[in-house]
Amino acid sequence: MSLASTASAKDQPSMLARLFARQELALLVCLVLVLAFFSATVENFFSVRNMTNVLGQASLALTAGIGCAIVFISGEVDISIGSLLATIALPLIIIMNDTNSLLLGVSGALLFGLIIGVVNGYLVAYAGINSLIVTLGTMFIMRGGVYLYTGQRAIPDDASLDSFIALSDGRLFNIIPYSAVIAIVLLAAFGYMMQHRPFGRQIYAVGGNQEVARLAGYDVRRVKFICFIISALLATVAGIILAARVGSAQHTAGLNFEFQVVAATVLGGVSLAGGIGSLTGMALGVLILQFLSNGLRGLGLPTEWQLVITGMIIIAAVAFDEAKRRRANGG
Amino acid sequence: MSELTHASAQKRFIGGQLLGSSQLVLGAMLAVLCIAISVAAPQFYSEANIIAILRQCALVLIVASGMTMLIITAEVDLSVGASLAFVGCIGMAVLNSTHSLALGMLAALAFAGGVGLFNGLVVTRLRVNSLIATIGTMMMLQGGVYLFTREAVQNHNQLASFTDLGAGYVGAVPVPVILAALIFVVAYVTLRFTTLGRYLYAVGANEKAVRLSGLRSERLKLLAFVVTGLAVGIAGMILSSLMNAGQPTAGRGFELTVIAAVILGGTSLLGGRGSLFGTLLGVLVLKVIDNGIIILGWNQDLQMVVPGIVIILATYLDIIRNKANVR
Repeated sequence: MSLASTASAKDQPSMLARLFARQELALLVCLVLVLAFFSATVENFFSVRNMTNVLGQASLALTAGIGCAIVFISGEVDISIGSLLATIALPLIIIMNDTNSLLLGVSGALLFGLIIGVVNGYLVAYAGINSLIVTLGTMFIMRGGVYLYTGQRAIPDDASLDSFIALSDGRLFNIIPYSAVIAIVLLAAFGYMMQHRPFGRQIYAVGGNQEVARLAGYDVRRVKFICFIISALLATVAGIILAARVGSAQHTAGLNFEFQVVAATVLGGVSLAGGIGSLTGMALGVLILQFLSNGLRGLGLPTEWQLVITGMIIIAAVAFDEAKRRRANGG
Repeated sequence: MSELTHASAQKRFIGGQLLGSSQLVLGAMLAVLCIAISVAAPQFYSEANIIAILRQCALVLIVASGMTMLIITAEVDLSVGASLAFVGCIGMAVLNSTHSLALGMLAALAFAGGVGLFNGLVVTRLRVNSLIATIGTMMMLQGGVYLFTREAVQNHNQLASFTDLGAGYVGAVPVPVILAALIFVVAYVTLRFTTLGRYLYAVGANEKAVRLSGLRSERLKLLAFVVTGLAVGIAGMILSSLMNAGQPTAGRGFELTVIAAVILGGTSLLGGRGSLFGTLLGVLVLKVIDNGIIILGWNQDLQMVVPGIVIILATYLDIIRNKANVR
């Protein structure tokens, strides 16, 4: 499959940087167009309340999208994050119900997430199994495991800790939802890592050309291993926010979530071939889709239309991107 | 990651002489499973149960036959599950309004073939990665089927010929099994003994070489997408016959089962390597496990866990064996 076999030809970083800049500019223009269109057609769309609400809703995909984009940039895929959302909600809710401590619950969830990331990362990086197969497998295993453990029933949050509930409806300065704040902080931190820290550049190098990265002395396996751990931990954070929002551990939580995140990431210009894209692009991709779906709902279209339109946009965006790249390469 | 492709090309050359060995392992696995389950639960070997297993295999095998060809050309189709549900609804609706099995079948094939054609064109003409393209199609179909119908499309006419498609028998063998066997044989012969089959392998192994030697690699990939689509059309009609309705919620996760069976059968996601016989064994192993879990009275949710473990384990064993072969 081309996601593993295409080695992206990359030359000078300066040219690449310019390409990124243009890509993000184009996405930004799209976002502004979406905002302008719905502001004109939907009442109360461009209100502080609605904007911040959408931001809060987008926080799940934004948080998990960081991990998804990083794994993509390293040249692999992770489609287990949807099932992971459901899995880590179990230790979170159960520990909180037992101990009445948010800190212990979150630690338990993060520990679970860490283990899942280590398993995925080990199987891909060190055992050498195709990442699509590994994460397809762990996706099945985790979802089945959650069904087995819960008997396909939701486990309610009996502790109802204020701090936990604040994760879903609390707002910083009464304006921005805490979940959005978390997503933005993580985005900034990992964005800084990807662009300005050596490890970020290692990830780009490994995804761009594995052989060259190896010859340059990078530990390719270690880089990929860590990318999967990052992805699992960020999806864990998304899962905690989701559990707070629904107030329980749902066995069906995160069904198809992986596809939504993959779609937004690809829309944001992060290539499956590895080595190309940025977290800013991913974030813009998530926001475009989220505002679009919010606006379409405002127009009174049935939710199914959102799926149809999202699907079309993704194909069109990637096709457009591909055409642009081919023209740039003179072929 | 081009070095991976080269490595797998070399392995294929060496593996060519040991082609049977991967399937030998899978065959042994199947045998062990059958023996173990029948020791624990003797009713496993009853005629009724074997027929039930085969019937469950039929749907997966039909689509997996197309999917094997597609994955051999180094592409993949994640939209088959969503398409399966949509096709069932459309076929049933046409059947209801025309009272004709032929027209219903034709509509189902036309729709599913159209989906395959669309996927193929997006991948080959617009150069969209097939994983992304078919995720997009999957979303469109999932949304589209609910716009088409919010409830199950009931079978109003109860045509005997349509009921037979899913529930009928020829002698002791269910009709879906016969259909699956026919499609499997045609696909097997095509891949194994025809020039077209050789070309499909070649496209997956080294597309550039294929193009340089004057073949239209895009056409071959397009064909594989359409064949997969048509297979979904047939499977969708069988499924709606079995359920006696077109269910918009049918087929959730079906794409993953199909891909799991193909991968388990030793077909490489990198393209150029694999066999339909392996896919057959893969489908059988997965469905025997499913059946075993039910017969042994274990929790049915294990039906998700075990295949997940099996896919990872089988792929890992394949990698180890390849390493051993190279040495």
